[in-house]
Amino acid sequence: MTLLEFARGPALQVSLAVFIAGVLWRFLGALLLPWRLIPAEPRQGAPSPAVAALKGIIVKMWPLAPFQKAGLFTFLNGYIFHLGLAIVVLLFAPHILFIDGLIGLDWPGLPNNIVAMVGVVTAVSLVAALAHRLTSPVLRLISRPDDYASWALTFLPVASGLLASAHLGARYETLLALHVLSVCAFLVWFPFGRLMHAFLFAFSRGMTGIRMGQRGAAI
Amino acid sequence: MADNPTLGEWLSRRGVSRRAVLQYAAYVGALMALPPAASGALARGLAAARRQSVIWLSFQECTGCTESWTRSFSPTLENLIFDFISLDYHEALQAASGEAAENARLAAMAANKGKYIVVVDGAVSTKDGGVYSTIGGVANVDMLADTVKDALAVVAVGSCAAFGGIPSAKPNPTGAVAISQLVVDKPVVNISGCPPIAEAMAGTLAYLVAFGNLPELDHLGRPKAFFGETIHDRCYRRPFYERGLFAEGFDDEGARRGYCLYKVGCKGPVTYNSCATLKWNGGVSFPIQSGHGCLGCSEPDFWDQGGFYRPLSTSLPGLGPTLAGAAVAGVALGVGAAWLSRRHLKTFTAAPEKTEGDAS
Amino acid sequence: MTAKTTASGVSYDAQGEMSEADRREAAMRGFVGEFGALAAAHMESCVRCGMCAHACHFYVATGNPEYTPINKLRPFEQAYHRHAGPFAPLYRLLGLAPRVTIQELEEWERLIFDACTLCGRCTLACPMGIDIAELIKEARHGLFKAGLIPDRLQLMDRTARAWGSPATPAEDFADIVREIGEANGVPMNVDLEKAEYLVTVAPAELTDHPKAVADAAKILNKIGASWTYHSEGFEASNIGFLNGDLELQRTMTRRLIDTAAKIGAHTLILPECGHAYGAARWEAARWYGGKLPVRIIHMSEFLQEVVNDRKVKLKPIGQSVSFHDPCQLVRRGGVTKAPRDVLERLGCELKELENHGTLAWCCGGGGGVVSNTRADPIRYKAFEIKRREVEAAGAERLVTACGQCRITLTLGAKHFKWDKKVESLLELVADNLVD
Repeated sequence: MTLLEFARGPALQVSLAVFIAGVLWRFLGALLLPWRLIPAEPRQGAPSPAVAALKGIIVKMWPLAPFQKAGLFTFLNGYIFHLGLAIVVLLFAPHILFIDGLIGLDWPGLPNNIVAMVGVVTAVSLVAALAHRLTSPVLRLISRPDDYASWALTFLPVASGLLASAHLGARYETLLALHVLSVCAFLVWFPFGRLMHAFLFAFSRGMTGIRMGQRGAAI
Repeated sequence: MADNPTLGEWLSRRGVSRRAVLQYAAYVGALMALPPAASGALARGLAAARRQSVIWLSFQECTGCTESWTRSFSPTLENLIFDFISLDYHEALQAASGEAAENARLAAMAANKGKYIVVVDGAVSTKDGGVYSTIGGVANVDMLADTVKDALAVVAVGSCAAFGGIPSAKPNPTGAVAISQLVVDKPVVNISGCPPIAEAMAGTLAYLVAFGNLPELDHLGRPKAFFGETIHDRCYRRPFYERGLFAEGFDDEGARRGYCLYKVGCKGPVTYNSCATLKWNGGVSFPIQSGHGCLGCSEPDFWDQGGFYRPLSTSLPGLGPTLAGAAVAGVALGVGAAWLSRRHLKTFTAAPEKTEGDAS
Repeated sequence: MTAKTTASGVSYDAQGEMSEADRREAAMRGFVGEFGALAAAHMESCVRCGMCAHACHFYVATGNPEYTPINKLRPFEQAYHRHAGPFAPLYRLLGLAPRVTIQELEEWERLIFDACTLCGRCTLACPMGIDIAELIKEARHGLFKAGLIPDRLQLMDRTARAWGSPATPAEDFADIVREIGEANGVPMNVDLEKAEYLVTVAPAELTDHPKAVADAAKILNKIGASWTYHSEGFEASNIGFLNGDLELQRTMTRRLIDTAAKIGAHTLILPECGHAYGAARWEAARWYGGKLPVRIIHMSEFLQEVVNDRKVKLKPIGQSVSFHDPCQLVRRGGVTKAPRDVLERLGCELKELENHGTLAWCCGGGGGVVSNTRADPIRYKAFEIKRREVEAAGAERLVTACGQCRITLTLGAKHFKWDKKVESLLELVADNLVD
């Protein structure tokens, strides 16, 4: 079995299984704990919990004015690599085919050179994020091994993807296999570290949205 | 000796000038990307070559490799060269059969001890002593071992001989293996492809005859001259891949416009061969030009990569049951974890109990 | 109760005679008692982005990364991952979530009590919507149980448990109220058997701002309402809400609401106090379920009703005013408009501080910090943020609707020899009633 066969076959199989099982485990394990809601009577005219939750999710996509200034790097750079990752993962034809193979959904993509450009920007942005984490006294104090591991496992697919498309460093099929394997590593780690925020953010924001919404307070 | 002329003498008797030999050597040299000086050496080597004994063994094969080779529209000169090679044993092409054929093979081996070339097409069955493929009651595995004992070199022609090919596709009931897995003490060159391109076979043999050793090989034992680049890197449709323009099927707008065939399963990016440059049938066309994606037929296990129409970037098939099982497991683990935690939270916050160990 | 120091050189207070092991157990039980789906969703979501630091006046004023809000939660988070998270059994098995040590709890006492006013600005800043302030409030429950709270707060707690209020014994309340009434020439109602409005006070009003007690009475008398103060339910600031004593919070909340129900009141008016509002309006349902037997409003909301319904006529003030938004009332409580409506009706020109309303900077004294003298140095540093904004807005007067904010800002002004007067909205209305 070649490395590429292993990557596309057993490796992806196991890592996707771990990903799905792990995500469900963490999700349900957290949200099926007792809810302990304080059932205060909402302020008159307060939005329904569903609306308040949605508002919380949407409003928090953009920081409030004083925090934009103070946290400018985190906010801007954060968006750059998140959007970059989204574009590279979701708008590159081979990736779209991968997702289509899993869930049967398909959509048009962007030309390769545009994706490559976005990929480079994303890689640089990720490196900048790491540099920031390593140099800011606040971030150095609060960061845990998880933060660094999650960074590495997000960076590797981007870097290996760029190397593969540039045919740099080894034979193409080897680079492709390494890229797929780096995605497998990402998938296996995903449910157990900070990366899970990709799913959990909606609940955390939504719950605070509900609490504040019932009080008529802004989120 | 008049009976054993050099190739140069033999050719000149047939009216082929030395200049023509030089031109041919230049052609082969260019084909194999040899350095400029090498074509001179190739010409001299060819001219001075003695009649080369070649024993061609066919095992678990479909004869497609032979067909490809004999289909070649190469210059007459090439045919003459291969007329000159003493093809002392070839099941499809020889006149003799049965015991007479086998005796001819054994005689050639004895007469050219240490100097004959063994060309093999087809995989070799190894399960149960190799009974699933025999010739004259002799298992392929035994005939191979016997024949290569005193050979100069072994040329495994076609993906079956090079990598096991179709006989070794899952579940490989006959235990078919590649020649290189069985021949470990002689130089083996793989000319893979299903079938290989005629010029790849011819060029490699010409090199072997002229220089007496193997050309530069890649990590899979294939001549880099013909297998050094991927189809993708030489494909004329590459600009469409880069621009994100694909055929979605075989009869849609994209297909009619000749767009990239990645989405209909082309394995060009990971397939090493010369189809995109040399093409087939004397340069007429190759699969992509005719509108079908590359099958990856010169790579190992090309038959078992998930399907010819499954794009390269998808996972291999068969994920459904695993992922469904994972979802069920995840729900069970999550519900279980919550239940355990709830129980733990309740007992933990109850009246204090002095517990040994790590309770809190 | 003595100030102690950890091996790492951090000072902390510890009350009671518990052994260190017992304190640790008690804290863990207190922490674990809070864990549920809400806490889980928050604590699983932190991506360590550090945005919360930029929102916290203590971090911004001192530059000390330890004051990063999420950092204040570390032992609480650790306990969560060890005991309640989805992978908790795995973590315990593999040693990936070590036990919280007593030293960590001792070190964190000052981060949870001195360096946090529960103001909730960090919650606003968090891109994951983690309600950090709420979680710190919950963490305090555990530290209280462990006897690891600032001595000053423990003192007030004992007093409140014994007297029903940190300011005065309940049996003295009626007399104090009548005295204030006499001193200000305002007729008082206290301990009436039946009334429509039950009015309550904050301890600061009984000690620092007694005029407020009379001002509320003056307005209620003016509108001819049926109202009373009551000895059985008068103390509204509810220090149990902020010092981690959940039992005290419950006791004090029940006193207010049960008394209101007893006298048949339809409305409970809370004093000018932020934490009173958070405790009574938003957390009383913990013990009563969804429907409370009485409507609960803040003094500023009462004033808004009064001025909007034009039940009183006001003298226009005609001066510029900046309003300091009490955190528990505005950002956490949702009462942004009421004080501004009142100021408008008072004919004030509102000059908003650069960060106002939901985004206002905390005065720096909430959550018990102004009572906890150990926190004075950083409180004064934080005060400078507020002072700069007030000066930049350049209004003639500074008004707020919380007695503790008023005290905190006044203390800060005194410390820096700044001559700004901090005024009360209630007082402004009472002093400008047209007869």
